[in-house]
Amino acid sequence: MSSSLTLPADRTTERPRRLLLVLGGALIVATYLFLVTVQPTEIAGGMGSAASLVSLFGFLGGGALLVGGILPMLTTSSLVIMPLGIALNIAIGQVAGSLGLQIYLDAIGTVLVAVLAGPAAGAATGALSNAVWGLFNPFALPFAAGAALIGLLAGLAAQHGAFRRVYLAPVAGLVVGAIGGLVAAPVAVFMFGAAGTFGTNAIIAVFRSMGDKLLVAATKQGLLSDSLDKIVVFVVVALIVYALPQRAVRQFPFARTHRVLGARSGQRARMTAGAGSAG
Amino acid sequence: MPRRRILNPLTELLAAVLLVVLVLVVNRWEFSLAVLLLVVVPAVLTSGRARQIGLAVLLIAGPLLLSSLLLHGLFFPEGRTVLLDLGPARVTREGLAFAAVMGLRMSVFTGVLLTAAMTLDVPELLATMTHRQWNRKLVFVVGSAVGLIPHVALRSRQITRAQQARGLVVGRGPLSRVRALLTVTTPLVIGLLVDASERNRMLGARGFSSPGPRTSYLPDTDTPRQRAVRRAMAVGVGLFSVLWLGSGVLA
Repeated sequence: MSSSLTLPADRTTERPRRLLLVLGGALIVATYLFLVTVQPTEIAGGMGSAASLVSLFGFLGGGALLVGGILPMLTTSSLVIMPLGIALNIAIGQVAGSLGLQIYLDAIGTVLVAVLAGPAAGAATGALSNAVWGLFNPFALPFAAGAALIGLLAGLAAQHGAFRRVYLAPVAGLVVGAIGGLVAAPVAVFMFGAAGTFGTNAIIAVFRSMGDKLLVAATKQGLLSDSLDKIVVFVVVALIVYALPQRAVRQFPFARTHRVLGARSGQRARMTAGAGSAG
Repeated sequence: MPRRRILNPLTELLAAVLLVVLVLVVNRWEFSLAVLLLVVVPAVLTSGRARQIGLAVLLIAGPLLLSSLLLHGLFFPEGRTVLLDLGPARVTREGLAFAAVMGLRMSVFTGVLLTAAMTLDVPELLATMTHRQWNRKLVFVVGSAVGLIPHVALRSRQITRAQQARGLVVGRGPLSRVRALLTVTTPLVIGLLVDASERNRMLGARGFSSPGPRTSYLPDTDTPRQRAVRRAMAVGVGLFSVLWLGSGVLA
């Protein structure tokens, strides 16, 4: 729609991009498997520096490869809302703090971009969001791959209709949050010894006092709080996109073609498309 | 007063990241403490923004350090040497040692990266990325996001005040809080999306999606020598890490 009419689209570099995506995904999966299957005994006594290095480079490098593979294939309309999503992630986190909410709510922008512009844009927004946030709060940096995964899964959920009905959104949020918590736990454990806020550490302390290993306790805590957080985030994003004017939703090809918002984005949008394209 | 810049932002960022990597590789509390005292503290003091950086480090790392100390100091089932028994919670020597190692590591991590980030000149960094021909979409997204954050924060404050003037009261229940969040975020997102669609059209008209190199209006502060130093630093730290970890595995 916004592509240039005079210049040919360059398709010559399609292959290396796929390669970058596959490599990035494989690196993240391999890092997670390595951390979970090989290292958990190490953290108990002397903790392994190898584990923290692997978690930093595996997840950051994987996230960087994914961003490198995704960015060239995004349209301008997707690219333009990515900074918006990143800024929202960071700013709403602060608003949530000032309103006295106890959950992080740092993925609203990521999920919003994923719903409107698709899984690829969502994944890139998640990864870049944590990279930019790292400039203000370095502790966000190693979680970039987890944030990318959340954007990807949220986009896939939207593609398969999780945002067509408001009661489907919390179900998708529960699943995405659980997966996100599983991936984030080893990063928190191996990089920072599972340090977090007082609330999350209290949950970890409960599991630890029952004799769980640190990784197990952190994973259980991640499953609990991330699922809760993502349920709220998905419902909030669903309510926001339902309140958006149709003109705002219709500018995104992903939301149009996959009828992400059901009747809200599909039938009526198509009927008014002829009139709308003039304005 | 901001300090006079000698090095290119890319060089400074890379040096900070490599220092963090070194701390992770060596993984001894003595080394972390030495880096903290000999590198981080002088860097913060000479940055020209010592007070702001100190406050930011304290606000970000302080709660984490404290909660980490409570978590590992009181609950460390693997600990053998019990110093104090408090029923379900036990203070152990191993737990305190673990908390100390992790705390030092986190302090170095926060101190180094925050000092590098808070003295960073973002326009200069973006100009360098453009001159080095990084992906222009990446440069646009990062630059635009950094520029948008204060704008979004300001607008969300204005919307919060406007909604409070219309009678928004945040109650104690979670439902009331989510409703308050929605009354602020919905107009915020709609406004930002309208802005974004205008920007979309403007960028399209200016040939944003066309291939080819871009011109930066800011001068290139990067030098061939700094590029060589960056490569040498990365290779050096990489080699050191391989040797150090290799010797550790063999031992």
